[in-house]
Amino acid sequence: MAASSGRTVGSFLWKCGNFCFNFNTVSSNLTRQVLSRQLCVSAVFHRKNLAAAGPEKFSEEFIKKQVEEFNIGKRHLANMMGEDPETFTQGDIDRSIAYLFPSGLFDNKAKPLMKHPDEVFPKQRAVQWGADGRPFHFLFYTGKQSYYSLMHDTFTKALAVEKHQDRLRGKGLFTQDAKQISLVGSRWLLKEELEELLVETISDHDYARFIQLMERLLSLPYCSAEEDFVQRYRRQLEIQSSKQQVQPLQYDQHGVAYSTGDGRRKTATGTVLLRDSGSGSISINGTNYVHYFPVLQDREQLMFPLHFMGVLGRFDMQCSVSGGGHSSQAGALRLAISRAMLSFLSEGQVETMRQAGLLTPDPRIKERKKPGQEGARRKFTWKKR
Amino acid sequence: MLYFGKQIIEISFALWHLPESLPRGLRGTTFSKMSASITGLLKPWTPRVFLVRWSRYNPYYLEPEPRKEVYHIPETELTPEQKEERELKSVRPIKAATNSVTSSVFNDPVLSKFVNMMMKDGDKIIAKGIITQTLENMKRKQVEKYHKAPEGKKAEIECNPYAIFHQALENCKPVIGLASIQKGGKFYQVPIPLTDNRRRFLAMKWMITECRDNKHRRTLMYEKLSQELLAAFSKEGNVVKRKHELHKMAESNRAYAHYRWW
Repeated sequence: MAASSGRTVGSFLWKCGNFCFNFNTVSSNLTRQVLSRQLCVSAVFHRKNLAAAGPEKFSEEFIKKQVEEFNIGKRHLANMMGEDPETFTQGDIDRSIAYLFPSGLFDNKAKPLMKHPDEVFPKQRAVQWGADGRPFHFLFYTGKQSYYSLMHDTFTKALAVEKHQDRLRGKGLFTQDAKQISLVGSRWLLKEELEELLVETISDHDYARFIQLMERLLSLPYCSAEEDFVQRYRRQLEIQSSKQQVQPLQYDQHGVAYSTGDGRRKTATGTVLLRDSGSGSISINGTNYVHYFPVLQDREQLMFPLHFMGVLGRFDMQCSVSGGGHSSQAGALRLAISRAMLSFLSEGQVETMRQAGLLTPDPRIKERKKPGQEGARRKFTWKKR
Repeated sequence: MLYFGKQIIEISFALWHLPESLPRGLRGTTFSKMSASITGLLKPWTPRVFLVRWSRYNPYYLEPEPRKEVYHIPETELTPEQKEERELKSVRPIKAATNSVTSSVFNDPVLSKFVNMMMKDGDKIIAKGIITQTLENMKRKQVEKYHKAPEGKKAEIECNPYAIFHQALENCKPVIGLASIQKGGKFYQVPIPLTDNRRRFLAMKWMITECRDNKHRRTLMYEKLSQELLAAFSKEGNVVKRKHELHKMAESNRAYAHYRWW
C-alpha cells in the first residue's frame, strides 16, 4: 500500500462541520451528505510532471468534487477560527491548520496539508481518444502532441508575419524600424515550466528547438503583432534593487541621525557607525584615517561611496576593522559605509549605488593550493628525467 | 551569445545552432542548462568545469559603472540602447567595483592598467609611486620648457601630464600586428589586425621594457619613463621606432596576408 505522506484535511473538517453546531457553522445538506472518507495522497504526487506517467488516475468529476469540498471546508475553517470566510487566504489556511493540528514531525511533506486540489493533484490529460479508439488530436501518434502542435502554431505565426511583411513590401510601406517587442525585463520559460504548461515531458533538444523557433519569430521586424503569444512563454525577472535590506534610521539622545553597517572582504571584517553631524571626521580603531591608511588608494576607497553620492563632508564615521591586509580592510570598510548610507538615501539612489558596484560583497578569495602543484597555479619545476 | 568563451561545457549542444547575430542586445537569454531557480545564480560561484580564466562571479553578473555623470543624464536624453541597458541593469545583479576604481575625476582606467603592468610581485604602492613621480617629472620639464619658450610658441607646449601620457601611448600603439602561422611545415609572419586591447597592451609593454632594459643603469625608473613618454609624445624615441619597424615588417610580409583565415 502506498505510504500516505500527506492527508488533506478538508474531509476531516466536514466531520467537524457536521458536529460543531455551536460554532454557528452553516451546515448545508450537502455537507451532511458528504461521506467522511479520508483521503490518502501518496508520495508519487509530490513528484512533478505526472502527466505522462500513465492513464488518468482521477476523473474530471472527482477533481470538481474535490474543489467544491475544498471551498466549503475553507469556509468552515474560517468560521472556526473566527475569521471572515470571504477574505480567508491560503496563508491563513496554512496557519490555522498548523494551529489546529500541531505536528512534531520535521518533514514538511508529512505534516497535515490543506491546499487547493489543483496544487495537490497534478495536472493530467483527459483520455485522448474517443469511444471508437480514434485519437482526437491529429498529432497524437507523435507522442508529444502538445509540443509539436505548439511548434506548428509558432511556425504558422512566423509565416503569417512574413506574409504580412511581403504585402507591405509590395505596397512600399515596409520599414525596418517597426515597433519591437521589449524583451529586456523577462526571460524565456524554463524547460520545467514549459513541461508543466504542456502537461507532457520534453527533452533538452526539444526545448532548445522551441527557443530557437521563438528567436526566429522575434527576428522578424513586424513580430509585434504576435506579442501576446510570445509573452505567454516569457516570465518577468524581479527587480534586483528590491532585494536590498535597508535598515530604518535611528536617532540618538541629541536627535542626531545615525546608522550602522558592516562589511567583509577576503578575511577582513569592518563595522561603521555613520552619524549625520556634518563634520566629516573619520576614526578607525581609535586612530585618524590618515594615519591608519597611509596609502592613497585605501583612503580613496573609503571616500568612494561618499563622493559618489556627493555627501563628502556630511557624515561622521567611527569604524572598527580587523583581519586581512590594508587593501581588504579598506574594501570591507567601503562595503560597510555603503550599507550604512542606505538608510539615508532614497530608492533611486540605492539603485544607482547598486549599479556602481558598491553594494555587492566582493566574492573573490585566495585560490586554494592544489595537490601535485606548488601553489594555486604554479606547477613544480619540470624535470625531464 | 555573451559567454561562449567561459561556459563551454555548461551549454547544451543545441545552443551552438542559435542565431549568432542577436539584433537587439541580449534578447531572450537562454538558461536551458541552469537550475530551475534564478537564486542559485546570485551566490559566489565556482564553475563545474574550471577553465584557466574563471571568476567567482556567475556569468549572469554585469560589470559596474562607477562614474557619476552617467547617472545624472535625464530620462529624455537617453538613446533607446541606453534605455534598454538601464532596464537590463535593473533586473541583473552587478559585480562589486574593484579596489583600484573610484568615482573621482582622477580615476583613469588607462593609467590604472599601466600601474598594474609596472607592478612587480604585487607591490602596487611602489608602482603607483613611480607613476606619480613620472607625471610630476613630466610636468616640471614641460613647465620649464614653457617658461623658456618665446611668446608665440607658449600655446603649443602641453603641460598637462595626463594628456601627454595619453597622447604618447596613442603614438606608440601599432595599427597592424604579426602572427606566426604554420603552413606547409614552415612558419610565416602574417600581418593581422589587432584589437584595441591588444594594441594598448603592446604600447604599454614596449614602453615598460624599453625603460627597464635600454637605459643607463644609474637613472631611476621615473626619470627613464618621463624621458621616453616625452619623446613618444613628439613621435621620437625607441618605442615609436619599434612601432614603425613592426609596421615595416607587416608591409614587407604583405604577400602572406591571405594565410590568415579569420
